[in-house]
Amino acid sequence: MRLFTKYNRVNIGVSIFVFIAGSVGFYLVLHYVLIKQLDETLRSEKQEIVEYVAVHHQLPDIQNTKHQWITVQPTAQSFIADLISSYSIYKAKEEEYESVRQLRFGITVGNTKYAIAVNKSEVETEDILQLIILVTMGMIALILLLNYSINRMIINRLWQPFHQSVTAIKNFTVSDMNFLVLPQVDIDEFNLLNESFNKMAQNIGTEYHALKTFTENASHEMQTPLAVIRSKTEMLLQQTEWNEEAVRNVLGIEESIQKLSRLHQALLLLTKIGNVYYDFNETVQFNELIEQKLLEKADLLQAKELSVVKNIAAVDLLFHNYLAEILLNNLLGNAIKYTPGGGTISLELTPEGFTISNTAASGALDDEKIFQRFYKTEQEQEGIGLGLAIVYEIVKVSGFRIQYFFEEQQHLFRIYFNQEK
Amino acid sequence: MISLFVSEFLQNYCAILYAKCVTLKILIIEDEQALLQSILAFLTASGYVCESVSDYAGALEKLEVYNYDCIVLDIMLPGGSGLQLLKYMKENKSQDGVIILSAKDSLEDKIKGLELGADDYLTKPFHLAELSVRIASIIRRKKFSGQVVLQFGEFQIDTAGQSISVSSKILDLTQKEYQLLLFLCINKNKVITKNAIAEHLWGDDMDMASNLDFIYVHIKNLRKKIVAAGAEDPIKSLYGVGYKLEIP
Repeated sequence: MRLFTKYNRVNIGVSIFVFIAGSVGFYLVLHYVLIKQLDETLRSEKQEIVEYVAVHHQLPDIQNTKHQWITVQPTAQSFIADLISSYSIYKAKEEEYESVRQLRFGITVGNTKYAIAVNKSEVETEDILQLIILVTMGMIALILLLNYSINRMIINRLWQPFHQSVTAIKNFTVSDMNFLVLPQVDIDEFNLLNESFNKMAQNIGTEYHALKTFTENASHEMQTPLAVIRSKTEMLLQQTEWNEEAVRNVLGIEESIQKLSRLHQALLLLTKIGNVYYDFNETVQFNELIEQKLLEKADLLQAKELSVVKNIAAVDLLFHNYLAEILLNNLLGNAIKYTPGGGTISLELTPEGFTISNTAASGALDDEKIFQRFYKTEQEQEGIGLGLAIVYEIVKVSGFRIQYFFEEQQHLFRIYFNQEK
Repeated sequence: MISLFVSEFLQNYCAILYAKCVTLKILIIEDEQALLQSILAFLTASGYVCESVSDYAGALEKLEVYNYDCIVLDIMLPGGSGLQLLKYMKENKSQDGVIILSAKDSLEDKIKGLELGADDYLTKPFHLAELSVRIASIIRRKKFSGQVVLQFGEFQIDTAGQSISVSSKILDLTQKEYQLLLFLCINKNKVITKNAIAEHLWGDDMDMASNLDFIYVHIKNLRKKIVAAGAEDPIKSLYGVGYKLEIP
């Protein structure tokens, strides 16, 4: 929910509640006051009658109007207390009920006792009340409407710098050399936000570059001793060439160097991918890359007598050339490595995705663990266990998705180029 | 037509003579002494005249005075960057071939080095045999414009035409077999491991044991072809761990 909507919902809700409560209160107070006034009129009417009786010792002529009428009834009751009450009567003419206020009192003229009731219609009072309430409601509606539109206009304008900042932050990538610079604005809160973001981005940038430098330096520092060991073993090999025992020992060292070096490069690559080191703005002709990789590995395919089934459409991807190459290398390399001799490797490329499948030597792999680093099955001893982890990382950072299936005695890896299923 | 043939022959012949008579000078700029010693020993054994230097200032001094056929250049040096040296050389129109040795496997560094005018780029840890064959390739390209016929014992390698003949008979080799034989010839009389061969032929992303058996198939075919051409088989296998091309 947008801030404005949320704010408005609360604002308007509370306003309406307050206005309704206010209106009800206002109505009650007004009603009370008007009735009081009506009662006052009734009492002064009584006063007039009482005074008239005191002077003339007879009841006055009673002039009834539409809104005020007086009834006189002789009564046997000795004392009647003043009583003010309201009641409704049905007016046939208007076909509606009408509220009437009545003051009943007793009076003695000579020896006769009368009960007099002064009645006054509340219609006028109600009309006034209605009018006042109507005007009030109108005002309230107007105020709410104005409030809403002003808020809307002002808030949209006030939040402009915020949206600009958000757009800038969205487009910010740490691997870019240029730091995030959010502009100065004339609202302190947003300025504070922008300044904090600028500072944070700067810190991230500095840390990132420090980390990158460290990773590269670490790589340098480790590769050099490895290079020394390898060169020494090779020199040693020249010297011990006719001593089988020595040669096998030296070869053991050489193999370990090979593995260590590969392991190191793979980990370095994983770190780099994890740090979003790459931009994905290169157009990669994926179909041609597949053909190229197949050509490179033609020897191996032939040696293991593997048959390749291709179903490849021309697909251009917004990707990274180097990573695309590694991705294919690892997937195809694995397929060749683990397909038993004489097996089949199938490749399928459509604009939606890429599928590589190969004849399985044994059962399904654990699809939960298969993309984990250093996951190895029993039959896999020689690999370093990072190939699929690298594939997974590349697929992840490029916004693709990969899934493993085991179908009809085939290992099947499918990369979806679209995020959605 | 005939004159063209003759001139081509002369050129090739001169190239052979040149390659045989002229000693090739190599400067190794590397700060890691142990590595430096190995490279020196290996390249000297390959018939090059080698000089070495292990810091930036020393390297600059040498580059100011002498010319080399090929320079082996480490990027990270005490006192400066190898890339700066490369810049200096290009500014001074140096014709020396340069191969960068770097522990940095990052793509940007590779591109930067090559853009600055390096002829090749080798990532540590490398095989000495690989370094040797790359240096030979740079020298062929830079010094002889690729027009070289190399003579190794009975083998005559025409690197321009990518063909190898033995006892004047051209061997019918596949691309990989040609690369393999050239690799062995340039590293003649040295033990070359299967790993080094695999990396040379298929690049370093190939980490398959099956590759190593596969090399055996290539070697077997090579031997057959050499023997069929009437020459003696010069390839010795070493307990299944590597090979050595023996040429007296």
